[in-house]
Amino acid sequence: MSGEIIAFVLLSAASVIGALAMLYVSKVVHMLLSLVLTFFSLAGIYVLLSAEFVAVVQVLIYSGAISIMMIFGIMLTKHHDQEKHPQNIGRSLLAGGGVIVFFAAVYGAIRKVPFGEQATGLHEANTEQIGIKIFSYYVIPFEVVSVILLAALVGAVVLAKREGDDQS
Amino acid sequence: MSAVPAQGYLILALILFCIGLFGALTKRNTIIVLISIELMLNAVNLNLVAFSKYGIHPNITGQVFSLFSITIAAAEAAVGIAILLALYRNRRSVQINEMDTLKH
Amino acid sequence: MISFAWLIPLFPLISFMVLILSGKKLKNASGYLAILLTGISFLLTIGVLLDLRTITEFEVIWPWLTVGEIEFQAGALINPLNGLMLFVVSFVSLLIHIYSLGYMGEDDRKSSYFAYLSLFTFAMLGLVMSPNLLQFYMFWELVGLGSFLLIGFYLYKESAKKAARKAFIMTRIGDAGLLIGLILLFWQTKTLSFLEIFQAIEQQKLAPGMITLIAILLFIGAVGKSGQFPLHTWLPDAMEGPTPVSALIHAATMVAAGVYLVAATYPLFLASEWALIIVSVIGAFTAIFAATIGLVQDDLKRVLAYSTVSQLGYMMLALGAGGYVAGVFHLTTHAFFKALLFLAAGSVIFALKNQHIKQIAGSGKHLAVTKWTFLIGTLAISGFPLLSGSFSKEAIFAALLEDGQYGLLAVALFTAFLTSVYMFRLYFLVFHGKGEDKPERTVPLCMNGPMVILAVFAVIAGFFGSQLADWLAGGQGSFAVLHHSPTWLIFLATLVSLGGIVLAYYIYLRKQINQEEWKETFSSTYTILYNKYFIDEFYENTILYSTRAISYLIFYIEKYVVETAMAFVSGTIKAIGTRGSRLQTGQVQTYGTVALLGLAAIVLFFVVKGGYM
Repeated sequence: MSGEIIAFVLLSAASVIGALAMLYVSKVVHMLLSLVLTFFSLAGIYVLLSAEFVAVVQVLIYSGAISIMMIFGIMLTKHHDQEKHPQNIGRSLLAGGGVIVFFAAVYGAIRKVPFGEQATGLHEANTEQIGIKIFSYYVIPFEVVSVILLAALVGAVVLAKREGDDQS
Repeated sequence: MSAVPAQGYLILALILFCIGLFGALTKRNTIIVLISIELMLNAVNLNLVAFSKYGIHPNITGQVFSLFSITIAAAEAAVGIAILLALYRNRRSVQINEMDTLKH
Repeated sequence: MISFAWLIPLFPLISFMVLILSGKKLKNASGYLAILLTGISFLLTIGVLLDLRTITEFEVIWPWLTVGEIEFQAGALINPLNGLMLFVVSFVSLLIHIYSLGYMGEDDRKSSYFAYLSLFTFAMLGLVMSPNLLQFYMFWELVGLGSFLLIGFYLYKESAKKAARKAFIMTRIGDAGLLIGLILLFWQTKTLSFLEIFQAIEQQKLAPGMITLIAILLFIGAVGKSGQFPLHTWLPDAMEGPTPVSALIHAATMVAAGVYLVAATYPLFLASEWALIIVSVIGAFTAIFAATIGLVQDDLKRVLAYSTVSQLGYMMLALGAGGYVAGVFHLTTHAFFKALLFLAAGSVIFALKNQHIKQIAGSGKHLAVTKWTFLIGTLAISGFPLLSGSFSKEAIFAALLEDGQYGLLAVALFTAFLTSVYMFRLYFLVFHGKGEDKPERTVPLCMNGPMVILAVFAVIAGFFGSQLADWLAGGQGSFAVLHHSPTWLIFLATLVSLGGIVLAYYIYLRKQINQEEWKETFSSTYTILYNKYFIDEFYENTILYSTRAISYLIFYIEKYVVETAMAFVSGTIKAIGTRGSRLQTGQVQTYGTVALLGLAAIVLFFVVKGGYM
């Protein structure tokens, strides 16, 4: 049993536990925090997959920015909310059944997927490779994404602004 | 050196995706629904990165696309929170089952 | 002038359009406008008539619509018969328009009255100058519409509404016959133009049986419009309309249309012996049948109505016996004296506000002009020598004699006798007697004027019999012959007419013959006559009841069978809808769940089937 496997088992266990905790703790803030655990573990998994840059971005964006934003969202609304579950047993059962069927089907498919050689050069100057790819080959999608971010920024400001503000 | 089989990563991604899906469909608090969707996106990213290493044509492109998808997810989260705040101002609630204006 | 003949019907149409659109604003001017435009039509008709002395036939047609290879046309056909009808219609209509100015003077809906009157005149003018049967049929229906509107003019009266409906439905029965005849004719000859149909008959393109069938079907149309037995019942009921309308219907427009139809398609009837026999027998029967009813009616206008039915029977009788000129001649003279009689009756009703002759009981004698003009009309219709009626009736008798129809001749003579009896009964009861009621209103000049003019025509129209025959011969050919009666027949006709007058004189004026005794002796006969042979009741008990039974049956089928089925269908859909609408909670998560289930089902299906259908 190699160190990679041990790391994988630990990290994946942590991420699944975090996700499950999100489903079953009762306080909204706790749900969010448990999900932060999942995000961190996933960053570790990215490192295992020779994607150091993505792992760093994961930590920055998900564990940092998005989680903080969600926490602000909770604070600005009813942050003492307790999730009483399950509220709608029928729908939960239906959704659970659907999810299980979906899981089983895709699991079966994954078991049958053949895989080729694993890449070996990804970890060498990973950030440089990504940079070259983005700024040469994918420069137009990159620009489009920046426009989307701008649009989202403006949209979020407009939506979150109080309605009476433009009069004052 | 025995490595982790590619299926392991894919199954982990599948488990996380299913948990995210279930959460998105059953949770009452809108913020949690949003974060569940982030979890689903994360599972997809994991798939992209895994295929970047273990795919039939291993390539850095998978990582690049996971970066794009993270960006989009961030934008989506920002807009989602903004909409949530606007809704909360109007209805004083973040319970998703009280948001049934689609009915009317 | 004759090339503008097609303009004649347009003036009443303009009048109708203007009045129906803006009649309320015009108020009193509406009557004058209608008179003016009808007057222009009349002047144009005179111009056309002057041209007709030299031109015997004139046709102007435009293509109207093309169906496959067949082209339908619209236009105007002027021949002597049409010219004569144009004259009669426009002349009588003009006089009735003028008369209505006085008679309808105080009515609130005067403008719509004049609008309908103009529509009626337009329809009739268009009818008599149609070059083909299709246009003829359209105007024929328009005439029906006009009569419906005018008979039901007093729409606040239930009886008037019923009468209008009855007139419309009874004539509709005839119209159905006419329409079938038209279609058959078109099927056989591929044309509806009068002239081309006559050519086809001349060339013997039609089988004799088919001709008879078509002629009888056309005659059914004429029976409906002209109030012949058995479709006559609407005509007396049509008295519910204003009296000038009755004059127009009975003299110039509606009922004349039926006789005109037979006259205009006369070659068709001549080609079939049986059709002629049917026409003459129906005519004779109607003549005597209506005359006997007329003997005992107590309503001033109803007596006149039955006399119209009877006189129309005469016309049909004449046409059926080959007396083409006699029939048209009687149509013309009848138009004058019947219009006169109705207008005079209208004056009596206008002045006395009463139309029950036993209640009037001689009060009419205070109206001098009315009395004398009514007397002239009565003498004319009774066939008093040297008045118009005597000439045209003699022509009919002569035609019957020529044709060898001795039985029908006897019927006709007896009817003439009855005619003078009931007409003079009417005259004596209305204008001679105690006369206690004073007139409530004086009759204005605009009512007396047309009566005097019509009286003049009722006297002199009879002298133009032979000219009329020559005139009609110019256009129609061989069958337009005026038969001259032998001296004994003239003598007999005069005797019959005078006999009737004398009898009426002794019964109703001198009271030397007690009618009440007769009533008791022949009480059953009296009851039958008074109730018009129970024809209405007969229709009511047979056709009406069976129709009602069928409609009740269908009503119950609808109520219990159809509606149950409907309720079932709608209930099922409603139930599905109610259950389905519960799914529409408006909650995104529910929709998402359903979508996921669908996806799961599809994925499962593919997994089980191995990815192939």
